[in-house]
Amino acid sequence: MSTLLDTVAAANLPRQFGLLEKSVEALSHSSAVQSLHVRGSLAAGTADRLSDLDFVVAVHDPSFASFVRVADALMTAELGAILPGWRDTIVARMGGLGYVYLVAYSGKLYQVDLYIVPVSRLETVLARTTAMPVYLAEGQASRPHSHVDWIINSTLERPYSPDELLVEILVLGHMIRKRITRGQRFIAYAEMFALHAAVKNMIKASLAPGSSFYGWYQLPEEIGTTPIGRQCLADLDRLLTGNAVPTGEDLTAALTTALTVAERAAPTVVQALRPAIDAYWHYLEYA
Amino acid sequence: MTVTALATSATLPTEVAALRPIDSGLMERLRHEALTVPSDWVVEYGDYQNGGWHTLSLLNDTGDAQDVTIRDCPNPIATSLLTDMPGVRDLLAELGLRCMWARLARLGAGAFLWEHRDYGELADAERHRVHVPLVTNSSAYLILGGTKVHMSDGRVWRLTPTSPHGVCNRFGPDRIHLIIDCYADAAFDALNASVDTVADAVTMLPAPDVQELEEHVATATGLAELGYDGAAETTLLELFYRYALAEGQVYDLITAMYTALHRAEDAERWRVKKATMLGHS
Repeated sequence: MSTLLDTVAAANLPRQFGLLEKSVEALSHSSAVQSLHVRGSLAAGTADRLSDLDFVVAVHDPSFASFVRVADALMTAELGAILPGWRDTIVARMGGLGYVYLVAYSGKLYQVDLYIVPVSRLETVLARTTAMPVYLAEGQASRPHSHVDWIINSTLERPYSPDELLVEILVLGHMIRKRITRGQRFIAYAEMFALHAAVKNMIKASLAPGSSFYGWYQLPEEIGTTPIGRQCLADLDRLLTGNAVPTGEDLTAALTTALTVAERAAPTVVQALRPAIDAYWHYLEYA
Repeated sequence: MTVTALATSATLPTEVAALRPIDSGLMERLRHEALTVPSDWVVEYGDYQNGGWHTLSLLNDTGDAQDVTIRDCPNPIATSLLTDMPGVRDLLAELGLRCMWARLARLGAGAFLWEHRDYGELADAERHRVHVPLVTNSSAYLILGGTKVHMSDGRVWRLTPTSPHGVCNRFGPDRIHLIIDCYADAAFDALNASVDTVADAVTMLPAPDVQELEEHVATATGLAELGYDGAAETTLLELFYRYALAEGQVYDLITAMYTALHRAEDAERWRVKKATMLGHS
């Protein structure tokens, strides 16, 4: 009886459980990884078919910099990430570095978050989040390595490049789509605002990379002095005047406008990511 | 995922040809069948791919759709899969080729068939490969001689697979092709004469910049040092799809990486693999 029920349960498992298994297998393949935990809805027992996979990857301190350096290549080669990782600005600063990947799996696009943390800081991270272990390596933890502070701080302080901002826009679009589907109106609002800010940042990073003005200040004076700058700001203005709480159609329109801005402000970045963007649209449409 | 130099437009290499179009109504039926009928796809030729290339036979000498290891087969019979795909059956009849084998090939998101030559294990007879793309996307393409070819749907394509080539579907969704291996005859000659031109099908890949290549090798070496050998190898094998490289250069890069890491056995394994993949053994 229980075997039959197990079969039915297995057949109805959300598809990202297969991706979870694949991710654990891939990430744990290195002796540099001391442990893997899942956090977020998977750890809280509230996951649904849209839930992202949220990992805490504990890496021995001496290997931390090497791991961060190859994380994009690893996620692309082993899990099929369609874009480089977005350096997560939403996740709390807990002592490591957060990256968000969009991974094509079983005909759908899933969000896989890696919070990469040096082993010496793992306890601090686990104290601040609900997490469940999914992989624990045998052996002793390595000694703290002072270099990790420099790696983490310099990474967090580095300004985003236009290609990173384009990835941020696409990742936020994927997140917002999930909020709309779930009816999470307040989070959809917050993430839509983040998307607007990312578009503004992309305009600034591309057209005024040396800007010393804060946030949304002085945009017309600094950007709007050229035809291309004025067009970008007009697009941005159109984006801001859309619905604050987006519908699916609003999101499609916002992403279309954001990509129009990107093509104006950073055309080579869009061209280099064009096949990935085409795939992204497909997955968004069939989400 | 570094941004590389942009590729430039080019003409099709002689090993690939865009042939006659397929009626749009039939094309829709073919696409529908490809997306709804096949199941229990088989992963074969594991050494040649990263696990996302699946096939099912339509015509072979056993009638078993899951028998997918191609061999010379002068009198193939229909598998049960072909029986369930009347549109495909109609197309095969319309083409009238002297088929050796016919199969459906599904390339999933992120799947690669690494640089290789085909037909090396078969008897010495003149045979050709015909592709009919049923479902595809802009990130699915063939690489041949440093040229990237996107086989668009809506027509028949000819490929000479005895030259080194590779196929990928970088981001998905699934790409599904009908692949027909056939013997030379008048019907093939007529089909092959129906050469057509297709806009935007071909781009020349850029030659690798030495510094860029070194960066990729450094990334792969970093992965291998951490124990991610598979990802390290994939990182280098994928360069075949980014740059116009010399034949077998990606295999040489992997061999060199393992040599530099003092892993002689792995270096030798890839030396042997290069010979197998490119038909030098």
